[in-house]
Amino acid sequence: MSSWYKSWILLTGFILFYVAYLLFGAFVFSTIERPVEDKLKRDIQVLKEEFLNQSCVNATSLENFLERVLQANKYGISILPNSSASSNWDLASSLFFANTLVTTVGYGHTTPLSDTGKAFSIFYALLGVPFTMLVLTACVQRLMHLVTYGPISMCRQKIGLEPLAATAVHFAILLLVVVLGFFVVPAVVFSYIEDTWSFLDSIYFCFITLCTIGLGDYVPGENPGQNFRSLYKISVMVYLFVGLMMMYLILRAFHRMADLHGLTSFFQLPHCDEDIEEDKEPIIEAGHEDQHEAEDSAKPLDPASQTSYNTINR
Amino acid sequence: MAAPNLLDPKSATHNSKPCLSFSAKSITLSPREECQAIATVMKWKTVLAIFLLVVLYLVVGAAVFRALEQPHESAQRLAILNQKLEFLSTHTCVNHSHLEELVKQVVSAIRSGVNPAGTLTNHSSLWDLSSSFFFAGTVITTIGFGNISPHTEGGRIFCIIYALLGIPLFGFLLAGVGDQLGTIFGKATARVEKMFVQWDVSQTKIRVISTVLFILFGCLLFVALPAAIFKHIEGWSALESLYFVVITLTTIGFGDFVAGGSEIEYLDYYKPVVWFWILVGLAYFAAVLSMIGDWLRVISKKTKEEVGEIRAHAAEWTANVSAEFKETRRRLSVEVYDKFQRAASIKRKLSTDLGLNSTPELTPPKRILPVNFTDEREREPMFPYMTKNGSIFQNGLGGEPRRGDVAIIEYLK
Repeated sequence: MSSWYKSWILLTGFILFYVAYLLFGAFVFSTIERPVEDKLKRDIQVLKEEFLNQSCVNATSLENFLERVLQANKYGISILPNSSASSNWDLASSLFFANTLVTTVGYGHTTPLSDTGKAFSIFYALLGVPFTMLVLTACVQRLMHLVTYGPISMCRQKIGLEPLAATAVHFAILLLVVVLGFFVVPAVVFSYIEDTWSFLDSIYFCFITLCTIGLGDYVPGENPGQNFRSLYKISVMVYLFVGLMMMYLILRAFHRMADLHGLTSFFQLPHCDEDIEEDKEPIIEAGHEDQHEAEDSAKPLDPASQTSYNTINR
Repeated sequence: MAAPNLLDPKSATHNSKPCLSFSAKSITLSPREECQAIATVMKWKTVLAIFLLVVLYLVVGAAVFRALEQPHESAQRLAILNQKLEFLSTHTCVNHSHLEELVKQVVSAIRSGVNPAGTLTNHSSLWDLSSSFFFAGTVITTIGFGNISPHTEGGRIFCIIYALLGIPLFGFLLAGVGDQLGTIFGKATARVEKMFVQWDVSQTKIRVISTVLFILFGCLLFVALPAAIFKHIEGWSALESLYFVVITLTTIGFGDFVAGGSEIEYLDYYKPVVWFWILVGLAYFAAVLSMIGDWLRVISKKTKEEVGEIRAHAAEWTANVSAEFKETRRRLSVEVYDKFQRAASIKRKLSTDLGLNSTPELTPPKRILPVNFTDEREREPMFPYMTKNGSIFQNGLGGEPRRGDVAIIEYLK
């Protein structure tokens, strides 16, 4: 009974800490962003007044017009003359949209307009999200062998480091490689291709995308005069997939390392699954799958199997 | 294998039969390695197959979305262009470029979250404490609606750092909440099981029933009820509310519909309750999605089993057939060889007995047979003639035996 109490206490502690974290974030965002917002409000007010002064338009008709324009803009349609004649729903863009749906990034720069589209999105997402998680987990499991176990054992044998130190060194190197290869280099590429994006904007975009937050304020390929738009969007899709895989890989490697160093038991967090046996088993089958399937559904989130939201769907 | 030592008699024997030794070694050395190698190859194939399946799924989805949405989009575009032309024609003092400029500014203002429509004086800020709290929540849970987003450089950098720390934190929280949910559900299942055990229902049925109950109850509590509440408060249609709930709880978070994002006057506790609902609903959805993932796994495992069975049967059948074939061939060749040998030995004996040389080698029995027949047929008409003097026949034909008789004698032997 005491362990049950303990887990409840731990949980409430976590929730309180989380709420405090949110409040802190809210405070900081507020102080940073609010002045900018006020200035923008004033500017737009001035613009409107100027426009109204010089023309014969009265306020209400302007309001109506603006509302219609904004409504259309919400769905990605612009009335500006240099807006691309290409649709937001041609095959490449639809593929991109399906991809953002299935990886849960969800930019929102284009959203389904029709009711059928919305209903279809619901079912498509309910099936596609676990599917994608399955694929990503399968790939990451294979990659772990290549990227983690191999080099670590090599480190141990050739350089003769202790296992703990070897894992730490290896993790640091892995982190460095991933940050360079999946944040810095793509940010440079994006800032080069998209003329309105600075380097900071591109890194911000890469980060927001690869964490699957997907705010949608920056979306690649939306520039009206974009050359090779389809190819560009498809390569962004590929970048998204591979980048997500890398994030999962890092997360898993970090978890293993934390396990080894005893951090997880120190904080009483869920342990990683047993490594060698499970990874050498084929991902799609396990002898006891049928028997455990019902049990798994009875206890959906076993405490010994997940450490973060990214691994929960596994 | 070590280098053969020529002085060693054992290694000499080894060397004398290299084929045998190598094959023996390969059999004993790596059945497990081979199994592993085969298993790894199959696993990569599985992953590749699943990957191709996902790509196919995406392409199908893209095609369906395009078919559903493009007509709508074209209609909207036409409508707004008409609006623009109408506006320009009714208000002739506005020229094209001014309007474009205004629209551009307005659009970028909207992106920053400032709505220029309506009076701006009593418009509540998007970055007051409660809205910032909500925004921080959407970042941490990786939903990321996007109706509010930071626009300053400082805001963006802070957003990155904040998310880096906050997402794992939220992950732990989610694991904890899910754990509690699971415990509660486990206890409920145990109670239900006790009830059902009295009625003698099998274990698997209980498990299945409890899963279904879990899904239904969770749907009711975390999906249907909030959808009804949103429909009432936000004024969305039923489909739109359901769409919002699903898109939010799977953390996709488009942002076209956001609870608490419109201009309506909300109660004070509305947003915190929404946030709490998101937390618990996310745990529930994570459980449901992992269940769906497990089902997909089981289905693919069953398919793989069936395919494996079929392949095993085919391999067995092929092995059997080829073994039989080989056996038959061997038997046939042995029989033919035996007969051949027997015939050759008989012929040799015959030739040594009769002193006949250069008898043809091939199938002596066959050569004898026609000779017999012709002799018999020739003798037939004469037979009654001959039988009168049976003794003459014997006497007449006695002495030197004719070739046919010799043949008969031989054959009978």
